[in-house]
Order: sequence, then C-alpha cells, then structure tokens
Amino acid sequence: MKTGKMLILALLLTALLTASAAAETSITLWHSMSEGAGALMDEFIQTFNDTVGKERGIHVDAVFQGKYSDATMKMNSILAAGQVDTLPDVMQIDATGKVPYASAETAYTVDMALQDHPEADLSAMLSPAMQNWNLAGTQLGLPFATSTTLMYYNKTLLDAAGVAAPETLSQIGALAGLLPETTAEGQKLTIYACLPNTPTLANWLGQLGSDLVDGHNGTESTAAALSCVENGALVTFLREWKALYQTGALDNSAGSLDAFAAGQQVILTESSSKVSALLDKIGGRFELGAAPYPKVNKEASAGATVSGSCLVMFGTDAAKREAAWTLMTWLTGPEVQAKLAAGTGYLPGNTGAAEKEIWQNLIAAYPQYEVGLSQLKETPASMRSVTVGPAADFYYAIQNDVSDMLEEDLSPEEAAEMLEEDLNGLLSEYLRANP
Amino acid sequence: MTKKRRAAALTALDLLALLMALLVLFPVFYGVCGAFKTPEEFAAWPPTVLPNSFRNTENFTRVFAQAPMGRYYWNSFVMATMTSAVRLVLAVLAAYAFVFFDFPGHRTCFFLLLGTMMMPPDTLTIANYQTVSRMGLIDTYVGMGIVSFAGASQMFMLRQHFLTSPKALREAAMLDGCGDLRFLVSILAPTASPLLMTLFLQSFLTQWNAYLWPLLVTNRPEMRTVQVGLTMLTTVDGTNYEVMLAGAAVVMLPAMLFYAALRRFVSRAMENGPLLS
Amino acid sequence: MQMQAAKRRDRVRRPGERVSKGWLFLLPMAVFAFLFQYWPFLQTAVQSFCTVNFRGDITGFAGLENFRYLFSRREFSAALRNTLVLTAVNVPVTLALTLLLAWMTAGRRRLSPLTETLFALPMAVSMASVAMIFRVLLNPTVGYVNYCLGLNVGWLTDRHWAMPAILIMTVWMGIAFNYLLFLSAFRAVPKELTDSASLEGAGPLRLLFSVQLPLISPTILYVVCTNTVQAMMTNGPVLILTQGGPARSTMTLIYLMYTSGYGSSNYSLAACVSLISFGLTLLFTLLIFTTERGKVHYQ
Repeated sequence: MKTGKMLILALLLTALLTASAAAETSITLWHSMSEGAGALMDEFIQTFNDTVGKERGIHVDAVFQGKYSDATMKMNSILAAGQVDTLPDVMQIDATGKVPYASAETAYTVDMALQDHPEADLSAMLSPAMQNWNLAGTQLGLPFATSTTLMYYNKTLLDAAGVAAPETLSQIGALAGLLPETTAEGQKLTIYACLPNTPTLANWLGQLGSDLVDGHNGTESTAAALSCVENGALVTFLREWKALYQTGALDNSAGSLDAFAAGQQVILTESSSKVSALLDKIGGRFELGAAPYPKVNKEASAGATVSGSCLVMFGTDAAKREAAWTLMTWLTGPEVQAKLAAGTGYLPGNTGAAEKEIWQNLIAAYPQYEVGLSQLKETPASMRSVTVGPAADFYYAIQNDVSDMLEEDLSPEEAAEMLEEDLNGLLSEYLRANP
Repeated sequence: MTKKRRAAALTALDLLALLMALLVLFPVFYGVCGAFKTPEEFAAWPPTVLPNSFRNTENFTRVFAQAPMGRYYWNSFVMATMTSAVRLVLAVLAAYAFVFFDFPGHRTCFFLLLGTMMMPPDTLTIANYQTVSRMGLIDTYVGMGIVSFAGASQMFMLRQHFLTSPKALREAAMLDGCGDLRFLVSILAPTASPLLMTLFLQSFLTQWNAYLWPLLVTNRPEMRTVQVGLTMLTTVDGTNYEVMLAGAAVVMLPAMLFYAALRRFVSRAMENGPLLS
Repeated sequence: MQMQAAKRRDRVRRPGERVSKGWLFLLPMAVFAFLFQYWPFLQTAVQSFCTVNFRGDITGFAGLENFRYLFSRREFSAALRNTLVLTAVNVPVTLALTLLLAWMTAGRRRLSPLTETLFALPMAVSMASVAMIFRVLLNPTVGYVNYCLGLNVGWLTDRHWAMPAILIMTVWMGIAFNYLLFLSAFRAVPKELTDSASLEGAGPLRLLFSVQLPLISPTILYVVCTNTVQAMMTNGPVLILTQGGPARSTMTLIYLMYTSGYGSSNYSLAACVSLISFGLTLLFTLLIFTTERGKVHYQ
C-alpha cells in the first residue's frame, strides 16, 4: 500500500521533472472559447505541446478566462493596477479589447514581432480579418476566430412560395404578400426581424461606400464624429429601412434564432458562426438556406464586415516572446484554422485552410459554411468594422433611435438628425475624457 | 363540529399552499426538465415541459466531460463555507455591539455599515482587484472571499433579532458573572440558531453562485469555481439551452441537497432550541 | 453579597470599558467594510468629479461636468424612472406575497415540511440560471408561458411587456429568502399570546393584525429595507434578459452604470450613477427607518 503510493509519487515526480526539462520555456494562453470551441482549444494546445512545442522546448498552459468581456475586464484591472507580470503571454481578445491592449506597456504587437522575424510570411492570412486587428496602422494581433454576418433563410418555405432568396431590403419587403401569414401550426409567421446596431449599420453604410464614423470607422484615428450624414448614406439606409417596415415584412425587434429555427421567422441575419447551432436546432424540419448579407438597395455593393476575436501577445522576455510568436502563428495557421472552422462554424482566418481536406469535406456536406468566406471575398476592401470608445452606448443608441423612427413614425431625416445628435454627443464626450 | 370544520379549513389552506409552492417551483422544474432535451425539442412547436426521454443524459455527459467538476465543487464548497462563516461571525459581533453596547455614534456607525449594501458591486471591482492582488491573495480561497467578509445585510437581520431578545436575559447573565463573549456564544447564539442557519445558508448560496469575482482573482484552472466552470460550457447569451440548463442543474443540485440537509438541522434546532422565556 | 459585588463592578467599569468593548466587537467587520467597500467607493466618489480615461486613470478635475453630462442623457431619466417603478412595485408585492405564504404555512402541520422546502428551494438557483430559465419560458415564439396561457406577448421584446417580465423575475427571486425569514418570525411568536387572543375570540385576521404583525415587525422592517436596496440596484436580470431595451424600457440605474460606464469606457459616468444610486437608496433607507420609531416593536 505504502510502496504503491511511493511509486506513484516517484513516477509523478519524474514525469514532472522530465516535463520541465523538456519545456525550457513555459508560456500561458488566456482564451474565451467555451462550448465545443473550448474543447477544441484544449485539443489544439495538447497537440501543440506534443509536437511543435516538444521540438522547440515550449510548454503552453491554456486557461479559460470567461467571456470576452470578463477577460477584457481582467486585462483592464491588471493594467489599472500596473501589475503587468500577471498578464499572460498570449491572450484572445475581441473588438472591445483592442484599445486597452494597444495601450498596454508590455504589449508585444504583431508589428514588433515581424521586426524580430523578418522572414515571417503572413500573406496567407485572410486580409479582411487581418485588417480587423489593425488599429491606427499597428497590427495588434492575428485573427483566430473569424466570422461575418450572413442572411439565413427558410429555404423550404421560400421554395414552396416559388421565390428566390432576396438580395436587397426591398426584395425582403416584397415577400410580404407572397408568404402565408401563419405557420402550419397556426403561429404568426414573421418574415424578418432585426434591430440595426453598430456592426449591422456599418455593414449597410459600407455597402453604400460610406463609413459610420470618421477615422475610417475609428481604425486609423479615434473617431470624433459621424461620417455618413453629409454623403446621405445614413438617410438612404433609413429610407429603405422605413419602407421595409411599411411593407409589414419587418418586425421591429431583435431577430430570434429560436423563432427562426421553430419556423416562425423566415429570414434571420446572424453571425456566420451560428451555422452549426442552427443546423442542430432545425434538426431537418426545413432546409436551411444561407446567403450573403442583404444589400441596402440595388446600387449598393454586396458584403459585410468581419467580427470575431484575435490573439495578441504580451511580455518583454525574449525567449517567451519567441515562444508566444511560435504558438500564435501555429494557432492561426491553415491546419488549426481548418479544424476550428469545421468544428464550430467560424471562418478559417487563413486562406491555406481552404485546401485542407477537413474543410473540403465540410463544405461538400454543408455548403452553408462556405457562404461567409465567399462573402468576405466580395466585400469591398475599404469596409472596416467600427472601433469607438463608447462601444455599448453606441450600439444601443443606434438600436433605440432607429427603433423610435419606426414606432413613433419619424421621417428618415428626423431620425438621422437624432442619430447624429446622440452619436456625436457620445463621441465628443469620449474625446473629452480621452483627448 | 367546529373542530372538524377548522381541520377541513386547515387542510384546504395546506393544499392551497402546496399548490402555490409548486407554482413557485415550476421554473426550476422546467429548467431541470430542459436539461434532458435535445436542441430540436427546444425549437419545436408546441413547447413542452417534459423532455421526450429522461434517459437522454448526453447534456450531462458534456458538462462533466468538459470541466473537472469535482475539483470545482470542492473549490466552491471551501470558498463558500469559509466566507459565510467569517461573514456570519463578524456580523454577529457587530450586531451584538449595536444592540448591547451604548457607545457614542453607534447609530451613525450602524448606518455607515448598512451603507455598504448600497454600493453597486461593479464600482468596487477594479479597486478591490488591486488591493487583493497587492496583498498577494490571487489564486487563494481567502482572496475569493475576503471582499465579502463584511456582510451588512446579515448584521442588520441579526440586530433586528437581538433587539427582540429580552434585555433582562443579558442582565441576568451578567449578574451570574457571565462575560459578553460567553453570553453571546452560550446563550444568545443558540436562541438565534434558526436565524443563523438561514443567514448562513443564504450567504453560502450567494457565494456558491458567485461568478465574476472568483474568475477575476484566479488564474490557475485548479482554483476555479463551479460557476466559472459553467461558463466554459456555454455563455449566458449562447443558444444551446439544453447544455446550459444541464450545467445549471449540475451546479444547483448539490446546493439544494445542502439546503435540505441544513433545513432538517434548522427545524430540529427550532423545535428543541431553548425558547426565550 | 456576590451579586452586589458584581453589580458594583459593573457600575464602576461601565463608562470607559463599555464604550471600548463596543468598538472592539464592531472592529472586525468595520475593518473589512472599510477596506473592501468604503475605500474603493471613496475612489469612485473622487472619479465622479474628475475626467477619467478609458483605462480608469484620473487625468484631471472636472467639477460637476460629469453630472451635467449625465443629466443631459435621455437614458438617465428613463433609468431613474424605471428604477423607481421597479422598487415601488417589487417591494410591496414581495412583502405581501411572502407574508401571505409564511402566514399560510406557519402552523406546523403534516404538509408543512414539504411546503417549506419547496418554497425555499429557488434560493439555490443562481441569478444567471434563473435568467436563463425565464428567457426560455418567456420566449415569445417557443416559450411555454405564452403557449400555456394562450397569449401572444413579446415578453422581452415589447416595450410595454419587458418591464413586467423583469418584475416577475425579480419578485420570484426574492420569494425564498424572505419567506424563510417570515416563517421563522411567525413561529417565534409566543404561543401563549396567540392562544390567549384566540380565547378572547379573535379570528385569524384579528390575530394577524393585532398580535402577529406587531410582533414580527422587526423582520418586516428588515425585509422592506433590504428589498428596497436590492430593487434599487436591479441589474442582473436586465443585463441578461433585455439589455435595458426595448427602447430603454427596462433601463435601470445600475444597468446604465454598467453600459454607459464600463461598457463604454466612461468611468466617471459610472461613478456619477453609482453615487446617485447610493445617495437615493440611503435616503430611502433612512426614510424607512424613521417609521421604525413607534411602529416597530421590539420586546
């Protein structure tokens, strides 16, 4: 009994010793991948430690740090406390983490890493996804989980009515008379439900060749004012939106994935990463159609912005920086990105992933997965996701003001004025505190 | 005759109460049932309460496969027990001071402590993180609990309770040469044991269900608590309700068992406890 | 002899020692309250009069500018109004409901252990789980509530129904704990008192209003105070279920602090809201306490 315990202890000790001998550099990764993606992340790190890590003497500890907002809050608290040694070597952040990360004293940006590694070739990275993590000309991180917004539709229902998937807002409006008013179970059938917010409004304005805010949507310099007012893009969108509402096809509420999956909503604009969840929920009751994001009008170009998360690095130690860079390029490489895409519905952030068998097999079985990727290829290169300081307020101000236009029957011009006042107010207040 | 009618009325009252209890508990029941459903069932019309089969335990398998729940349970248990115990002891002492000592400014002090209930916790987080990490308490149970050691709400309830206990009791004890601490521990606390249990339980459950703070002050996976483990399964704004509910059930059930066990203790204490007379 | 000696000792020691001993009992809690509540809160208070950058560093003095800006926000008046409505409805409803339930089950009868346990169990469910369950239950299209009641209400998506939905949830969350407190308070009422009142011919209602309620009034005071504080600080359900919407109809003060403050990197705004919420809640609590004198009976 006792010897058995001793033996186990000895074994554990040797295992520990050999592990630490092999792993000369130990680094930490903080991530926010939950559900299936979390299991995949653990699997990736395991593989890395067993292969590349073993060769180069790197050991990675992956730690889940809650949702993106929790992890960002943790990063902010650490930065405010000035305890930079607590920060990990590699961290996964979403858009809200960009500005605080850029301000961190120990941020080891991709641009800095590229100076240390002139041989590195990032040309295979999906360019709209790369741009998404570029702030004021500095490449902060590399895209890890990438997605865009798609239009999902109930293909069975549209086929039965003999109509093709709509491409513009007015075509969605035209469905109003063509579809039944209730579902087979007698429930009300909603055609489309959506509350425009920062990313979706940026999509529609981008299609019209306009940014939402200046500073190229806040990516080149801190946004100070709206830049979609004088060029008329905002009013153009609001007019189309109000016209759509007046056809009765639009419900003034956030679209519901559940209602869509239950067959009670025909069209849903949602993240491309929701493909798997949707297929699960629908469970074969109807055919899931996936199409590019609807266009504001016929003249608009197609496309939508990128969202998701990236990996960034911290630290000053040369060996750890080296190890972090090795891990980061591996995690954003074709192999891992193809697996991640196949397992979750995120888009591969590395164009090399498209050649991998696992991705090929996936899109052969479920062509819905590929729509997001082809959409990004068509999206104008000038389109940027929005980075603004007062992120949450901005998001809800857009929702509320556009919603008020419909409920209180304001003219698109009045609504545009209201938006301009509210959003510019938020931006100038932010500038007051962050000159 | 009237006795019979009275008994009948009481039975009716009991049944009505039971009915209302079931109604109150319905959301919990619904949630637990949901943990056995498949994604398809959640999107099906008409909605159901019961799952197709209680044998569908796949969601639970996923919960346990994804996170080392055993370790998380232990962490949550230790953290919640320790924090609640300290919280209660401090609250008892403070409440005793407010009721039995008459010192200048004691009313002001009472309201100052009560004021801590009204500070939005989010405003305190960042500064507290700095304090706790400077104290070197990151990745410790104490670090997870220390910000909750001062429980104004418990102190307040205990004060209310002590105020109702006869002043003569203490005077008599003092005359017998009993010190304040001994009076508190051996006479006053036992009479308050049902309340102490209820407060302990409430505090325990609050700590058991805490999420953001334990997440912030732990970096090592082996120090994580059950609620943090739950978020690894799924986010609150996620869409796979069935796994979320399975996770919630897995976290909830031990807490409920703990409650049921304590309740028996409480009711026994209530029946046998020395009554004030 | 001994008694007299003790008495004398007591009297002799009284002035200084009783004071210092009182402080000693108070000290442990006060230390933690200061360190982890007042100290950070004072920093918050300072921030509300300063400009604070997106990282939370104070960069300058702003005077009342932050408050002026806050009051100019449309969200603020909505948040204030909603918070007051929430409190004004939640507190009396919870009080009446839990009092009623405790009164119905206070007698120890065959079913009481079962009923008590059932009523208390919701306490074990975390706020996040409750919110999740209610979100599924109240889902306008696939939820059970609409189906069961034959309604077609967008509980969380309609600007007239979202607030009632939040109210239902917050009341539900408060039932268990308050019920338990009232139950033990009812049971602590000395049996001699209720018996003698019954003998004098008092019906159950007379008994309730003239004997039981006065005796459990300390617990009532507690429940009213803590529920007021909790209702004034409602955030969780709003954060998870409605995000203050639709159209600001469920925006509460603390949620405003959360979105317009931390969600929008505006720490000084968060500090202002926090201070206002604290001040208002303290004011209400003090008002409730002024009714304590005379109306609340301590034996």
